[in-house]
Amino acid sequence: MKWWGEGLGRGASAQLSRVARMRRALLLLAAAACTAAALLYWRQQSDDRAHRPLHALYEGVEPQWSWVCRNLRCERLLATETTTLQSLPTCNMLCDSTQLWPQPTGAVSLATAVQPVRAEGFKLQIVTSPSRDVSDHLADAFELMKEDMRTLERSAGSERRPADYGLPRNVLVRVAINGSADPRMRLDTDESYKLTLRPSRKSLVADITAHSFCGARHGLETLSQIVWMDPYAGCLLILEAATVVDAPRFPYRGLLLDTARNFFPTGEILRTIDAMAASKMNTFHWHVSDSQSFPLRLDSAPQLAQHGAYGPGAVYTSDDVKTIVRHAKLRGIRVLLEVDAPAHVGRAWGWGPSAGLGHLAHCVELEPWSAYCGEPPCGQLNPRNPHVYDLLQRIYAEILALTEVDDVFHLGGDEVSERCWAQHFNDTDPMDLWLEFTRRALHALERANGGKLPELVLLWSSRLTRSPYLERLDSRHLGVQVWGSSRWPESRAVLDAGFRSVLSHVDAWYLDCGFGSWRDSSDGHCGPYRSWQQVYEHRPWTEEGGGAAAWRVEGGAACQWTEQLAAGGLDARVWPRAAALAERLWSDRAEGALPDVYLRLDTQRARLLARGVRAAPLWPRWCSHNPHACL
Amino acid sequence: MAKLCFMTILVILLVQLFSFNRANMPPDDAAIAHTYTPAWRYRCVPDQGCERTTHPQHGLETSARNTSGMVFASMDVCRTVCGRFGGLWPRPVTAAIGIQTVKIHPNYLRFDLQNVPAPVVSLMADMTKLVGPNLLAECDGTVTEDVDAPVVVYLTVRSADKSLTLNTNEEYMLDVQHNTKDAQISVRITAETVYGARHALETFTQLVASSKPEFADDKICSLLLVSGAKVRDRPAYRYRGLLIDSSRHFIPMENLKKTLDGMAANKMNVFHWHVTDSHSFPLESTRVPQFTRYGAYSSEEIYSAEEVRELIHYAQVRGIRVVIEIDSPAHAGNGWQWGPEYGLGHLAVCVNQWPWRGICVEPPCGQLNPANPEVYRVLGDLYRDIADALPVPALLHVGGDEVYIECWNRTEEITNYMKTKNYDPASDGFLKLWAEFHEKALAAWDGVMEAAGTPKQPVMIWSSDLTQPQWINTHLDKERYIVEVWEPVGSPLLHKLLRMGYQTVSVPKDIWYLDHGFWGATKFSNWRKMYAHMLPRDDNMLGGEVAMWTEYLDEQALDTRVWPRAAAVAERLWSDPTADVLSAEARMQRQRTRLIKRGLRADAISPAWCSQHDSRCF
Repeated sequence: MKWWGEGLGRGASAQLSRVARMRRALLLLAAAACTAAALLYWRQQSDDRAHRPLHALYEGVEPQWSWVCRNLRCERLLATETTTLQSLPTCNMLCDSTQLWPQPTGAVSLATAVQPVRAEGFKLQIVTSPSRDVSDHLADAFELMKEDMRTLERSAGSERRPADYGLPRNVLVRVAINGSADPRMRLDTDESYKLTLRPSRKSLVADITAHSFCGARHGLETLSQIVWMDPYAGCLLILEAATVVDAPRFPYRGLLLDTARNFFPTGEILRTIDAMAASKMNTFHWHVSDSQSFPLRLDSAPQLAQHGAYGPGAVYTSDDVKTIVRHAKLRGIRVLLEVDAPAHVGRAWGWGPSAGLGHLAHCVELEPWSAYCGEPPCGQLNPRNPHVYDLLQRIYAEILALTEVDDVFHLGGDEVSERCWAQHFNDTDPMDLWLEFTRRALHALERANGGKLPELVLLWSSRLTRSPYLERLDSRHLGVQVWGSSRWPESRAVLDAGFRSVLSHVDAWYLDCGFGSWRDSSDGHCGPYRSWQQVYEHRPWTEEGGGAAAWRVEGGAACQWTEQLAAGGLDARVWPRAAALAERLWSDRAEGALPDVYLRLDTQRARLLARGVRAAPLWPRWCSHNPHACL
Repeated sequence: MAKLCFMTILVILLVQLFSFNRANMPPDDAAIAHTYTPAWRYRCVPDQGCERTTHPQHGLETSARNTSGMVFASMDVCRTVCGRFGGLWPRPVTAAIGIQTVKIHPNYLRFDLQNVPAPVVSLMADMTKLVGPNLLAECDGTVTEDVDAPVVVYLTVRSADKSLTLNTNEEYMLDVQHNTKDAQISVRITAETVYGARHALETFTQLVASSKPEFADDKICSLLLVSGAKVRDRPAYRYRGLLIDSSRHFIPMENLKKTLDGMAANKMNVFHWHVTDSHSFPLESTRVPQFTRYGAYSSEEIYSAEEVRELIHYAQVRGIRVVIEIDSPAHAGNGWQWGPEYGLGHLAVCVNQWPWRGICVEPPCGQLNPANPEVYRVLGDLYRDIADALPVPALLHVGGDEVYIECWNRTEEITNYMKTKNYDPASDGFLKLWAEFHEKALAAWDGVMEAAGTPKQPVMIWSSDLTQPQWINTHLDKERYIVEVWEPVGSPLLHKLLRMGYQTVSVPKDIWYLDHGFWGATKFSNWRKMYAHMLPRDDNMLGGEVAMWTEYLDEQALDTRVWPRAAAVAERLWSDPTADVLSAEARMQRQRTRLIKRGLRADAISPAWCSQHDSRCF
C-alpha cells in the first residue's frame, strides 16, 4: 500500500531499511546519539514500546495482502492490487458456507454481513432454567466465552487499517433450558441446542434453546465460532445473523491422556480440556496411573502416590483433581478417572508387606520384564488378597466423589500377564483369576457407589473380552473400550455380542503411534503416525452387519499414551488430530477429508492457537493464505 | 566437605518428606497404617547407571537388587559422576571424572582471560557470559545454597584468529582441580581457538548439576561441580549442522535463538538457514526490499537486516556459523514476482502456477528465469546484503535442488533462449542451462567477495541430477562446490562423490530428516536410529546435518520435533562413537533434561520411570 508499495524504486526501499535500522538503534542507544528532530520523534514512540519485540519495528504499517472470495475460496492479492482490503480470517468467515467445527448436524444458515462487537458488549439473559445449579453453571460458562473473546481482542496484531465497520454492537444472549436440572455430562444428557442470531435495532439478539446445561454450553461455543478477530480492523466481528440446529451423532466423544508414563502438570490438563471444549468433546478419559507411576494422591490411600509418584512434585492432590473436574464441568466435559487394574500397577502397590497387608501386588519391577508384562516395569495386583479389594473400594469411592461421575466408570482391565499370576497361583487358571478379580472389583465398585453399579462400567478390550470369556461377562453393566485394530476379528466380536462400546481402534485413533520403539522391541501394532485425515476418515460403524445383536457404539476416544511424550509436547501431538475425531463423532458426515474439511479445520486450528493451545499446522502457511491452490 | 553438604541436603529432604507425609495422613485411618517414608534418592550402580532408590523393605521384590554404590540427591548429580563420561554430551575423546563434588555459585565464578590474544578477547568474554546463566538454569534460576568454594576459570587461547571456518581447530583441554588449601576451584582451559575454548566452557557447565531432583516439590537447590576432572576433546567431523526451514512457516527470531542455544549445548557448529523457498521470502534485503514486500507472509513475519545481524552474532558467541541458503534456481517464487512491474522482465517463472503437478515438487511452484540477465543482477544485490551480514569468510548455500525441467520447458522465453545458445531442448540441454545458472550465480557471489576483498569461497549446493557422477565433473568445479548429499542411506552417490574428490556434507533424508514420519510414506526416525547411523571417514567428508523442514510444523512444535533428536546426530558428528546406542542412553536422558532446563521443550524419549532407572528399560 502507500508505504510498502508506492515508492517503487530504490529510494523507497532504502527508506524502509533506514527506518528499521534507526528504530532498532534507538532502542539501544542513548538519546545523545540522535541528531535530527525527526529522529527524536521516532524515539518518543519507541520508548513507549520499549518492551515490544523487534518486529514492532513494522508497527503501524498497512497490510501487505488482501483476500477476495472467488468460487467459494479466498484468493490472496497484493494489497496494492485491490481497492478493498480484507483480512484472511474475515474472508474465510464470509466466503465459504460455514467455518464451524464440528459441522452442525441440523439446519445451518449464516449471514454474510458482519457487525463489529466487543467482548464486554455480550450480555446474558437466562430466560428459563430448570435449576439454580444450571443457571450458575450457565453464568460461569458465559463468562468463559467472554474471556476467550477478550483474549482474542488482546491478540490484535500490528498490521492495521482504519476500520469502517462502525460502532460495536451489543449482543444480548438469551438462553432457555427446558430439561435436566443436573448440569453434569451424563450418559442420558441431551446435548442438542438451537442457536439463532439476528439484528435488533442497534444491537444483536442471540437465542439459545437447549435441554441441558451442556447443550446450552455447546450453543455458546457455536456462537463464539461466528465471532473472530479481524486483524486489519483490530476488532472483533460477528456474523450479523445465524441459525444453527445441532445435536451430536454419538454421545461419547473422548480423549484419553496417560499421566503415568510421563507426568503432566495440572496446567497442561486444563489447557487440553479447553481445546476439547472448543470442539465439543465431552469426555476427558484420565488414565492417571500405570505400572510406571501413580501420581494421584488419594486421601483414602495416600501410600499409593507416596510410593508410586515420580517425586513429591509429580502428584495430583485432591484439590488439583477438583480444579480439573470443575474446569471440565463448566465446559460440558466429564472426567473419567481410570486407575488401571489388575495389570498396569507398580511400585505404588509395593508397601503391603511392611504395612502388614501382605502382597498387594506381584511381579513388581520383576525382570526380565519382557516375560511378565508388555513394557517395563512389570506389576500386577494380587487377586487373592482381600486387602486389595478394600483398597480398590476406597479408591473407587474417592474417584466417584471427586469426579461426580457415577453413571460411567472405567476399571481398566487390560493386558494381564497370565505368566505372572501363574507363578504365584499354580492351582488356578489365570483366566479364572482374572474373571474372579473382575467380579470382586465390580463388587467393590458397587459398594463404593452406594450399593448400585454405575450404568456403564468400561473395561479395556483384552483376552477377557474374547470368547470364551466374553460370554461370562455381564453385558447389562459392562461395556468395552475397544483398543484393538478395527481389522481384528475380536474387535468386531465384542460389538456383535451386543456390548456397549467405546471405540479407540489402535489403527486409527492412537495418537501415540509412529514414533518408533523406545524399548528394545518392535513397534507392535503401533505402526505409522495416524494423520488427522486418517483419524477423520475412520468410520468403523459403517461395517455393522451380520452379528447376533445390534451394535451399541456409544462413541469413541482418541488415546494419547505418553511413553514418548511429556509436558511441552502435548498440544502439538494431540491437536488438531483430536479435533478431527471430534467432528467425526459429532457430525459423522459421510465425506472424508475433503477440501471443505481442510479449510474449516485450518480455521479451528487458528481458534486453538488463539486459546493458547499449541496446535500443529495442517500444511505450509502459504496454503492457509492460498487455500484454493493447495487442495 | 562435599559429603557433609550432601548429608545436609539429604537430611533436609528427608525432613521435608516426612512432614509432607504427616500432613497428608488421614487422621482416622487406622486400618492401613503407613510406616514407610519413601526416600527420593538416586544411586549410582556400577555398569548400569543411576536409579531412584527405595529403602530396603521386606517382601518388596525390588529390594533384592544390589544396594552398593553411592547415593545422590538428584538423578542429574548421580549421572554427572556415574559412568566414564558422566553427564557429558556429546561424549569427549577422553575424560576422567571424579566422584566428589563441591557446591558452587555463579556469583563466585571468575574468568581469567590474560592468556587470550587481544583480537579475540572480547568474543571470548562474550562466550564466558553464557556460562553463568546456563549454570543458573540447572537450578531453575535460583541457587538457594551457599558455596563451598569460588571457581576461577583460566582460559588459554593460542590463536588470534576470530574466523569460524571448516578448518577452525575446535580442540580443547579442560582440567578441574579443587585446591583444598585455598578452598578454590581452578578450571584450566587450553585451546587453539576461541571456539575450542567455548566448547570447553560448555563441557565445564556439563560437569555441574543441581541437587534438586526433577520432580521435587521444594525450591532448595544447590549447584554441584565435579571437583576433579580432566577432559581432552576434539570433534570427529568439521561440519555439524542443523537446518531450519523458515519459508514454509515463518519461525520467530526468538525460536531460532532458542534453537541456537540447543545447538551450542551439543557443540553443533553450523546453522543452515533455509530462509527462503517458493512459499515465502521473509529475509529482508536492504538493496532489494521487494523480496519481502512481495514474499513475506505479512509485514510482521520478516527477518529485518538488523535482526539477522544480531542472530549471526548470537550464533558466533555460541561457536556456530550461520550458512544462509537462498535456494535457486528452483524453490523460488513468492518474493520474485515483481520483475515485470519494475521493468526487469520475469525474474521467476511458473510462480504459484496451478495445477502444480509436474512443474514443481509441491505447491506453490516457482523457478528463477535463467534466460533473464536481470536475475543475476538482483541475485548479486541480495548476495551483497548477505555478505554484509555474515562474518568473513561467508559460506553461502545456493540451493540447487529439485529443478523441474517441465517448468522451464513450458516457458517460451526460456526455450527461445536455449535456441540462441544451441542447447538441445532435451534433458541434456536443460542440464546445461541449469549449470549455466549456477555458474552465473557463482560469478555474482564471487563478484561480491571480490568487492569485499575476500578470496573466492566455495559454496554449498544440494545434490541433484546435476551432481550425478556422470555430469558433475562437466558442470560443477570441485574446488568451488561443497555438495550436500540428501539422498537416502542406500544411495551410492555420497561414496562416489567422495571418491571423485568432492567435499561433501551428508543428510540422508530417510534417517536425518526431522520432518519424516508425519506425511506421505515417510518414516519417523527416533533418536536411536539417528544416532546409530555412521558416516564414511574421509578427508572430504566434512560432516553431516539434520534437517527440519517445516511444511507441517511451525514454532509451536519446533523444539519437540528437533530435540533431543538433533542431539543424537550431534554426538555422532562430534564423537563418532563405536559403542552402541544403549550405552549412550543415560547421557542422552541427562542431555534432554539439560535442554529442558535451558528452556527448550525437548521431547520425551521414554517413560519417566526409565529415565529414573538407567538400563532397566532395554
